[in-house]
Amino acid sequence: MPDWKQIVRGRLAGLTLDGARESEIVDELAQHLEDRCQALRSSGIPEAQATRQAIDELTGGERLAEELRKIRRPPPAEPMGIPRNRGGIMTGFIPDLRVALRNMRTKLSFTLMVTGMLALGIAGNAAIFSIFNSLFLRSLPFAEPAQLIDLDETAPKWNLKYVGVSNPDFFVWRKNNATFDGMAFFTQDSFNLSDRGNVQRVLGGNVTYDLLPVLGLKPVLGRNFLPEEDRPGGAKVVMLGYNLWQRMFQGDRNILGRVLQLDDESYTVVGVLPREAVLPDRADLWTPLAVDGDPKNSNGWYLSGIGRLKHGVSMDQARADLLRVHKNMIQQGQKVNEITSPVLTDLRERYLGDFRSVSHILLGGVAVVLLIACVNITALMLVRGSARARELAIRTAIGASRNRIIRQLLTENVVLALAGGIVGILLGAAALRAMISLMPPNTLPSWIVFSMDARFALFCVAITGAAALLSGMAPALQASRIDTRSALQDAGVRTTLSRGRRFTLASLVVFEISLALILSIGAGLLVQAFRKVLSVDPGFRPENVLVYSVNLPTHKYKKPEERVNFFENLANRMRALPGVKSAGVTSAPPLGGHWGNFWEAEGAKPLGPNDKNPVVLQIVATPGYFDAIGMTFLAGRPFRDDEADLKYTRSAVVNETFAKYYWPGQSPIGKHIRYQGNTGAWVTVVGLVRDEKHYGLDQDMKPSVIIPLRGFPRSGMSIVMRTAMEPESLVAPARNVLREIDADLPMFAVRTMTERLGQSIWARRAYSWLFAVFAGVAVILAAAGIYGVVSYAVSQRTQEIGIRMALGAQPRQVLGQTLGAGMIVVSIGVIVGLAGSLAAVRLLQSLLFGVSPRDPLIFGAVILGVAAVGLLANFIPARRAASVDPMHALHFE
Amino acid sequence: MADQPLDRELKKGSAELLILSLVEARPRHGYEISKLIEQRSQGTLRYQVASLYPSLYRLEARGWIQGRWVEKQGQRRRRFYRITPDGRKILALQRQGWQQFAEAIRRITGIEFA
Repeated sequence: MPDWKQIVRGRLAGLTLDGARESEIVDELAQHLEDRCQALRSSGIPEAQATRQAIDELTGGERLAEELRKIRRPPPAEPMGIPRNRGGIMTGFIPDLRVALRNMRTKLSFTLMVTGMLALGIAGNAAIFSIFNSLFLRSLPFAEPAQLIDLDETAPKWNLKYVGVSNPDFFVWRKNNATFDGMAFFTQDSFNLSDRGNVQRVLGGNVTYDLLPVLGLKPVLGRNFLPEEDRPGGAKVVMLGYNLWQRMFQGDRNILGRVLQLDDESYTVVGVLPREAVLPDRADLWTPLAVDGDPKNSNGWYLSGIGRLKHGVSMDQARADLLRVHKNMIQQGQKVNEITSPVLTDLRERYLGDFRSVSHILLGGVAVVLLIACVNITALMLVRGSARARELAIRTAIGASRNRIIRQLLTENVVLALAGGIVGILLGAAALRAMISLMPPNTLPSWIVFSMDARFALFCVAITGAAALLSGMAPALQASRIDTRSALQDAGVRTTLSRGRRFTLASLVVFEISLALILSIGAGLLVQAFRKVLSVDPGFRPENVLVYSVNLPTHKYKKPEERVNFFENLANRMRALPGVKSAGVTSAPPLGGHWGNFWEAEGAKPLGPNDKNPVVLQIVATPGYFDAIGMTFLAGRPFRDDEADLKYTRSAVVNETFAKYYWPGQSPIGKHIRYQGNTGAWVTVVGLVRDEKHYGLDQDMKPSVIIPLRGFPRSGMSIVMRTAMEPESLVAPARNVLREIDADLPMFAVRTMTERLGQSIWARRAYSWLFAVFAGVAVILAAAGIYGVVSYAVSQRTQEIGIRMALGAQPRQVLGQTLGAGMIVVSIGVIVGLAGSLAAVRLLQSLLFGVSPRDPLIFGAVILGVAAVGLLANFIPARRAASVDPMHALHFE
Repeated sequence: MADQPLDRELKKGSAELLILSLVEARPRHGYEISKLIEQRSQGTLRYQVASLYPSLYRLEARGWIQGRWVEKQGQRRRRFYRITPDGRKILALQRQGWQQFAEAIRRITGIEFA
């Protein structure tokens, strides 16, 4: 029997089709000729003649070849066990998927490693994005929220960014502006709410009658406030917040018309607010603001404002418009409007702006982690791609096209990414839950809800897809460029890596190291800044201090003396409790809010119109407060009870910042101060205390004056107790004492000072350590990448190393050489990373609390650390190289 | 296509019609196709290897037929061609076209087809 294939091949010389295609055609035609010959023979024709006749039928071989070249047959898929793509997107996908899953199963450790890395990267991104989404992307719960603008006033001269809007200003703004559909104002308030013997402290809002319509909301029950109710002397009416309505009245629809006691005054319920009425934050009820716009009745700057822009009006136009209105008031005699001016802010930005840069930095951090994971996977795949060269070469030989192979490899990557994505999203969701549970209450507006939504889902899909592409494209392209013949020839032999591939792998390692270094330096700086904040002297001793607040209804405690007596009595009773070392009363404990006023010092020259006139934090306290909170006296002493009465306040205590501002370089003791513009008596400074970090450890301190309660009897005060035991254990005894004095008074804002302090730096603690975790993960990933690449290089060079050692190279030399080559790559990575860091740290500057963004200690430590990790990751495979047994290595073949 | 005037494809495309018709009932390999054309035309039509296989490959490239290697026990593997759903549509159209063509010829020449 003739070799038909040989004959066909001879006739088709010059066919020059690609290898796989040609061999198929040859096969088919050979079979045809064989069949033909068989048929001729069975019809009785002798074999030789039959053969010749069959061959003759192949006449026109040149034409055949020409015809065949014209036709592009789709690549045969059968050799790979895959039917041809019939045009549908999914048709080729299912078999590709099957192959991918089979490959994943057979290379389980590789699969787990890749999935794990991706999961780590995606988990971080999912969690952080979810937070970012909840804070900044999800729309506010109001109608057309983009039209809503926060309104406030700013007073640079007082060193205050936001002072609040005064009632005379808002009346004029509301009346004369041309750019707003509506404008409403509100202020936070709190009430002792009692209804049929049930007393509780609730937060509320005093709001202008139009707040609900400006927000685009409607009452769920009853009606909104009427304009006539929002005037001084108007009817006492209240709208219940949705939550309070549910909580206290079980959603009773007959609540309308019910009379409740707010601070012992009767208020009639006229409506129930919708759930979306979230201003002021955490307000459980609204009462009308009920002020007028008469400048003589100004209550100062205290209101928050919200405006609904007319459609088509830009923020800048509105700003110019309000400024015009505001300036016109000056001409009409409102001189004070020279100091303040309207400031318009995006609503969300106003409440969450502080978190924006932190969110961006954290997002950047996790993105880098994911990038490193992808680079790592790319390197792993390239390494694996080399190992798979034979498999891919065989596929190419039997007709798989380049596109086909790329698609197969990409499918594998997509499946891997999907697995990583799913695990990562689950991990991320768990991490998010953990982070939220660690978040102290009341740190964010209550309308921020952390949950996963469609945008989150979309993000996860997108990021998983991006990861698949990022980590899969390069290896797929490289693998598909395989030179079939040489790959098949070499496949059984271990050779050194080609120069190009070695360069690619080294570049990836350099990239990884530099990214890990940048993250680590960022984390080092942030953690250092956090430590610096922690080491700030708070100016008081927060340990073992319990604080709670009490508000006296002015109807019951009309006379100032009654209030003074109440609080002095309460402080004395607290002091008498077993376990209490000292107790005092203050209007504002540290981190307890700001009450500003303006003071002047005797002998200081009068302020010019352009002089800075910083607002002074004014704290009212009893003498016992200084000891209870643990303030440090730098000079002088606390004021005494007998140094103030309702008519005359003789003494006050100032803080360091105050003393430095008014009497730089001098002792303030014995100096005199008074309210600015007051022609009354001077107050003598009797004590100087170290700055109490009133606004937070990482915040600047304002000048502060502490004045006696007897001279300034307020109705809302906080009781501060220093205890000899766990402060929490004194909550119940303290509550009992308060109930004995006045059973109708709720005790609220009960917290230890340590808690308050912890909460004030919670965000900084969280983002600093989060960033550190990201950096840690990045370094581990980079180390894994270095280790993987060097291990592979060493394993590929086993034979070469064996030859060298057989020729007399010492293990130490091999170790040194391998390590040296590896460390050159690490060093380049460190240098690139260093350059990147110098640029990147600028983004962190605002968060560094005075730590230099080029802190040499941090830079040095991180560089050493990363280099050490790099050394270790190189050392393990290098030692393996040095321990190669030449005999064994050469026997490999 | 049926409404269009007889196109150029029709005149030179008899090979396509024949091949599609033959693989319509069941998949067949190349040799079988050439044998059947010869047998059923009682020797009138014969396709050279040089024209049969390019036609097969062209039809395959268009997605009208699909080739597949099949190995049967005790035989060498052969490439069987089956008709695809697209191919069936084309076959139906071409049959109609040929009938119209034949009808037209008959009217002109007066030749009666049995």
